[in-house]
Amino acid sequence: MNLMGRHMISIIRVALGTVFVYAGALKVNDIVAFAGNIAAYQLLPYGASYMVAAVFPWLEIACGLLLIIGWRTRAASALVILLNVIFIVALATAIARGLDIDCGCFKQGGGDKTSAWQALLRDLVLFAAAIAVYLKGTPEKQRSA
Amino acid sequence: MNHSNGKIPLVAEMALIVMLAAAVGIGWNHKLLRDVLAGKPVQSAVKKETSPQPATTAAPLPLGLEQAKELFDRREATFVDARDRTAYAAGHIQGARSLPLGEFEAALPRFKGEVKPETTLVIYCNGFDCHDSLDLGGKLIKAGYGIVYVYLGGFPEWKDAGYAVEGGKP
Repeated sequence: MNLMGRHMISIIRVALGTVFVYAGALKVNDIVAFAGNIAAYQLLPYGASYMVAAVFPWLEIACGLLLIIGWRTRAASALVILLNVIFIVALATAIARGLDIDCGCFKQGGGDKTSAWQALLRDLVLFAAAIAVYLKGTPEKQRSA
Repeated sequence: MNHSNGKIPLVAEMALIVMLAAAVGIGWNHKLLRDVLAGKPVQSAVKKETSPQPATTAAPLPLGLEQAKELFDRREATFVDARDRTAYAAGHIQGARSLPLGEFEAALPRFKGEVKPETTLVIYCNGFDCHDSLDLGGKLIKAGYGIVYVYLGGFPEWKDAGYAVEGGKP
């Protein structure tokens, strides 16, 4: 990969990490509201919504921090890909079932509502960015390029 | 630093990150999760910090059929019917209280006298196309109720599912 390409991947990696740290930090502040947003998807039982709400934000923060500092980026980007697949499937099923809900992606409880379609498009962009980081963004790959 | 070809396989690294996040998340929220598993009412952490001032911008949280039924079965919530009195009299979720959106201002003092602010409320009306439940939920949050859900499927979905309904009370 040329110098320009390496810089571009680094920028994408740090930007992706920042988005995930930001998203996780907002959710950590209000787990109850996030659990309510998860419950609105009608995919999990009541108690499981709280368990997922308790763990997901910290997973987002952990992956985001690893991406920002560039350590274990392959594992972090693989997890971000996995998380995005879960988000995309959940949003697609919400659209298919005609649920008019807030995606619960960032700010919880109140504020501007983000529709499932908007969130789906945003997650597809993040998914593509995570794929790029996974394939091209690991330090050893950069060194061997 | 090596990754997939190093000492720690990629999947193990991923699992380690997930376990670490789970440990921190569960540890950080252990009291909340314990309350949820024990069936106790829970409250938004943000609202706790800002209490006793009632929330003015928070929106009610949407709830699906299964979650509403779970709260109903566990007797964790008071169900509130936002439809008019005629619709309520024709049939409502078993045990639900009537609080029509159109009578909110007049009925609120009595409602507040009978239902404590820390009570978990589940508001419903006539299903996904009905917005009275969302509006009523917002008003109840502003009135000082901290845990307000809106059951989006409303009475039609509940009745179609075969769950407990009853006729109106005078």
